[in-house]
Amino acid sequence: MKKIFLSILMLATSVTAMQAESFLTNVKSFIKPWRVDVRLGYGIGGSAPIGMPESIRELNRFSLTPNLLLGLDAHREINDRWGFMTGIHFENKGMSIDATVKNYHMEITRGGQTLAGQFTGRVVTDITAWMFTLPIQATFNVSNKVQLKLGPYFSYLTNRTFDGYAYNGYLRVGNPTGEKVELGAVEGERGDYDFSEHMRRFQWGVDVGADWHINNRLGAFADLSWGLSGIHQSDFHTVEQTLFPIYGTIGISYRIR
Amino acid sequence: MKITKLGVLGLGLSLMMTSCFKDEPLNAECDIEQVILHSTDAEAVFFNLTDTIQNVLFADSIIKVNVRSTAPLETVTPEFKTTPGATIQCIDGDVKQGKAIYVVTSEDGNWHRRYELSLVPTMVTVVDTMKFDFEHYELDPTYHKFYVWHNVLPDGTLGNDWANGNAGFKISMSNAQPEDYPSVPIKDGYDGSAVKLTTRDTGPFGVMVNKRIAAGNFFLGSFDVQNALLDAMKATHFGIPFDQKPAKLSGYYKYKPGATYIDQKGNAVAGKTDSGDIYAVFYRNHDAAGNPVMLYGDDVKTNSNIVAMASVNPMQVTSEWTYFEIEFNYSKEIDPAVLENRGYSLTIVFSSSIDGAIFQGAVGSELCVDKVRLICTREE
Repeated sequence: MKKIFLSILMLATSVTAMQAESFLTNVKSFIKPWRVDVRLGYGIGGSAPIGMPESIRELNRFSLTPNLLLGLDAHREINDRWGFMTGIHFENKGMSIDATVKNYHMEITRGGQTLAGQFTGRVVTDITAWMFTLPIQATFNVSNKVQLKLGPYFSYLTNRTFDGYAYNGYLRVGNPTGEKVELGAVEGERGDYDFSEHMRRFQWGVDVGADWHINNRLGAFADLSWGLSGIHQSDFHTVEQTLFPIYGTIGISYRIR
Repeated sequence: MKITKLGVLGLGLSLMMTSCFKDEPLNAECDIEQVILHSTDAEAVFFNLTDTIQNVLFADSIIKVNVRSTAPLETVTPEFKTTPGATIQCIDGDVKQGKAIYVVTSEDGNWHRRYELSLVPTMVTVVDTMKFDFEHYELDPTYHKFYVWHNVLPDGTLGNDWANGNAGFKISMSNAQPEDYPSVPIKDGYDGSAVKLTTRDTGPFGVMVNKRIAAGNFFLGSFDVQNALLDAMKATHFGIPFDQKPAKLSGYYKYKPGATYIDQKGNAVAGKTDSGDIYAVFYRNHDAAGNPVMLYGDDVKTNSNIVAMASVNPMQVTSEWTYFEIEFNYSKEIDPAVLENRGYSLTIVFSSSIDGAIFQGAVGSELCVDKVRLICTREE
């Protein structure tokens, strides 16, 4: 009885070992053609309406924000020309601007109280959006050093902030014929807002870019990611225009296999 | 080579950000900001030549100008300063006959405001005692959100001389019911209706602008909501032109301080009890150079143009209607000719928190006022 049990166990073990070996071989042959790059980049861009409304008059300040990108990409060539790339990026699509607006709709809700109307003056907007991004891209080799890439991306935000203040101007409460309320420049005289919780967690869009392989290990890249989903939830209308994140990223890559 | 391409990408992005600004939109506002009243015989029409320039508060749509009872109104031609680009049209009446209705249309054509301009021939005040019983009140005609009061004028019509800060409270607490505003009427006063002033919490927006409380206030003058957030001291315009020499102010009040006195930052101040404030100020409404003078929240008790003051000091904490009678203490002589030409202004002020102007006090402090009498002495 004991013998039978042992022999079954041995048989089972040997079968499993054989299967594992062939599975590993499969995995190895699957992984073999893939090349893996680590990326470090910096993005410049902003979340802006497509077609600037006439109520936005001027951009007074555009500050650089820590729009870092850290990524791991796997690339596989299908033939000499074409290939496929995917990976995981951790990045920030932040923005800090100061704009002049005229008759610009604003709505501030706090603790169940709402202050809405048309604002003329200056508005500061600060956005922080740290996210994990999954790009799915087709690649095309222009030469053996340069490849172009294009495809959709899908992001999940882990940290989201959308706040700022309206200052040095006035609000017409409700509409342009409503009470006129002056806003000053300093805290306590200006109108602060915070729409962070109305930011969408999932975003998607299209990435287009180029990779330049300087040598076997080192490379440089430039990407343009064009958001096709607004940064706010679709039922959020306080910011009248839908804002799309559009960022250009440049950086270096290092091939780890 | 590649670096150049990256440079082009960056340049392209920044061009995209800046090149898409459209032409400036046309103005959407349609306010009368100022009325200049031209007259070939201005001295016969107006008590003061400065009355020919009337600055209009943005929240006001009724412009009333007191003129001499014998004023030749046919000599008056109004000139309007409106929002740039807006157009104005007289749709009814004629200023030369005392009253006209205007509609102002915004530059973009989408917005309209209706204004009433009237020149009110004003008799010399003949009674020695002015009665303020606070029986005439209604919800504000524009928003129906808060109460406004009217005083009875000598000819029996209703005036708008009593102002309060309810319009400012509306900005911070847009969802509040009329009864939850700082200044409300109560039906069971000392005699008929009375005014109840309560220091209120201004909620999350009040915290945002560091104005955490709104004292209930009630005064002769006007409230300019434009300054309610930026420079609240300038929101309260104290005083109306007055052609008698006030001697005494009397009336009835009840006062109860709120539980916790808080400072501007919202911190409780241990051991401090709130107090109400009842006072009256009589002042010369032009300076030596002939410019109009108005008292505001920051100088209503200190301006050098003040000629007399009266105040209830100290106020008692009382749950029963309590009689007060205070005398005006004159620091300067009255010029009868200036008095007759409405060159002095009077304000009477009630507040549920004495430091309410600087947003300190106790939420829940409550001052009720009724049957106020102003006794004047006749100048022979």
